[in-house]
Amino acid sequence: MSILFSGRASGARANKIGAVRRFLMFFVHHFRQAIASLGELWRTPMASFLTILVLGLSLTLPATLHLLVKNAQQIGGGFAKAAEINLFIRDNATDQQIKSLVTILSADSQVASVTHISKAQAMAEFQEASGFGAALNYLTDNPLPDVLVVLPNNTDPAAARALMQQLSNERIVEFAKLDLEWLTRLEAVVRLLQQAVIAIGLLLISAVLFIVSNTIRLSIISKREEIEVMKLVGATDAFIQRPFLYTGFWYGILGGVLAFLVSEGLLWWLRGAISDITSLYQSDFQIQPMNLIEFSAVITLAVLLGVVGSYLAVRKHIRAIEPSGP
Amino acid sequence: MLQFDQVSKSYPGGFVALERINFRIAKGEMVFLTGHSGAGKSTILKLISMIERPSTGRVMINNIDLSRLKRSQVPYVRRDVGIIFQNHRLLMNHTVFDNVALPLVIEGFTGKEMVKRVHAALDKVNLLDKQRCLPETLSGGEQQRVGIARAVVNKPPLLLADEPTGNLDPELSRDIMQVFEAFNQVGVSVLVATHDLGLIARMRYRTLTLKHGRMINDGLMPLQEPI
Repeated sequence: MSILFSGRASGARANKIGAVRRFLMFFVHHFRQAIASLGELWRTPMASFLTILVLGLSLTLPATLHLLVKNAQQIGGGFAKAAEINLFIRDNATDQQIKSLVTILSADSQVASVTHISKAQAMAEFQEASGFGAALNYLTDNPLPDVLVVLPNNTDPAAARALMQQLSNERIVEFAKLDLEWLTRLEAVVRLLQQAVIAIGLLLISAVLFIVSNTIRLSIISKREEIEVMKLVGATDAFIQRPFLYTGFWYGILGGVLAFLVSEGLLWWLRGAISDITSLYQSDFQIQPMNLIEFSAVITLAVLLGVVGSYLAVRKHIRAIEPSGP
Repeated sequence: MLQFDQVSKSYPGGFVALERINFRIAKGEMVFLTGHSGAGKSTILKLISMIERPSTGRVMINNIDLSRLKRSQVPYVRRDVGIIFQNHRLLMNHTVFDNVALPLVIEGFTGKEMVKRVHAALDKVNLLDKQRCLPETLSGGEQQRVGIARAVVNKPPLLLADEPTGNLDPELSRDIMQVFEAFNQVGVSVLVATHDLGLIARMRYRTLTLKHGRMINDGLMPLQEPI
């Protein structure tokens, strides 16, 4: 007796498979459909390539901007210690008065540290840094003042400025200097960039959702006949949707990797120019590439966009397809 | 197995496709459905395959009222109905094997069990050697047999066939009908919609005859009776 007829001796009955087996098969089918969807990308190379390209490039812009903001913040952070207050001491101040002021400031709770740079030390540093070494030996008198370098406990620009005002009233202080304006401006620019990244990111995410959704919609339309047949032989909407969702998943994975590669490529390309600029400021600043968390975030976002874009298409269009009849 | 109770179907615009249809097909029964074009055969098949819902009355399969079925439950009931389409409705970019395996894949079968069943179904319609072929490389008769293999592969208790011999020569038609009889003999209920009065006359099974949406005969068709 043929296997087709086995189990039918007592009449026709529906064939069901066990719950445990069904549970295991669920995962097997998911795996198979995921691989089959990858094959589907291969079978439609141009459409798949263009969708992945759009998704990847759309994510590249916010990803690269994020990296630039991150590096700009690092530059800002690196110069946070620029909240140093330089107290230039009057020429007629005695060593005793200077030491006394250093002692008072060291005990001040607003002050993290005080460093005294004597006239002689200042001259030695200037000779070394300026390149006028031998020429400066011809000076009859050291024109540089004693300087107290005060590092505030609170490096917030407003607090540092208030401390500077207070210290500039000291009797032996000629004048005080705190150069924080450029840092404030840098922070403002970084904040603006951050908001731009969010705004551009949201716009591009909307575009990507639309593009992925439209690509999947076209794919569904091209398989209308196949979907009708599947429904007629008992496929659920969820079963029919799955390959399309996996297609979106693969779009996301591949688009995310593309975004990572392009943004890293852009950083690599900019690295030389940035290095030239930072070397002018005697900075050893190194541009920071995407770290593992950021890479994971890009891939996760890309996958979410792919899957959500697909879901938007399948939810509407697969449900709408109904068999037209035997 | 299958029951129509006072089933009527009308379409927007007022066209009445079926009017108060009553019949019952028992488990393991083989029945022909015949009538001229527009008599309502296709509507009956659409109601059984849940493509349409009745305007009034009840369509029951295994005591399940199809007109009350939720949309989400429809696929599960369809798995109990093997449908053979007049135009085959095969997936042309998939092999014969994949086409026949489709209902099993949907039901969750994999591996050896699935291969065994697909091979058995293909063997039954004499197409085992064509399992790796694409449907477009097969003749009309072979495509029809692939459709039959797909309809029976998951052992549905009810088989619907819409003009299964419409495109076939007499010899192939006889072979196809023998396949249906073989399934019927092991308990499968079979409903065959056909225009072919010669076929009905030869096989001598209960025949439902429709005319203008009404049932005009239910029983063995008298020989040579015009419809």
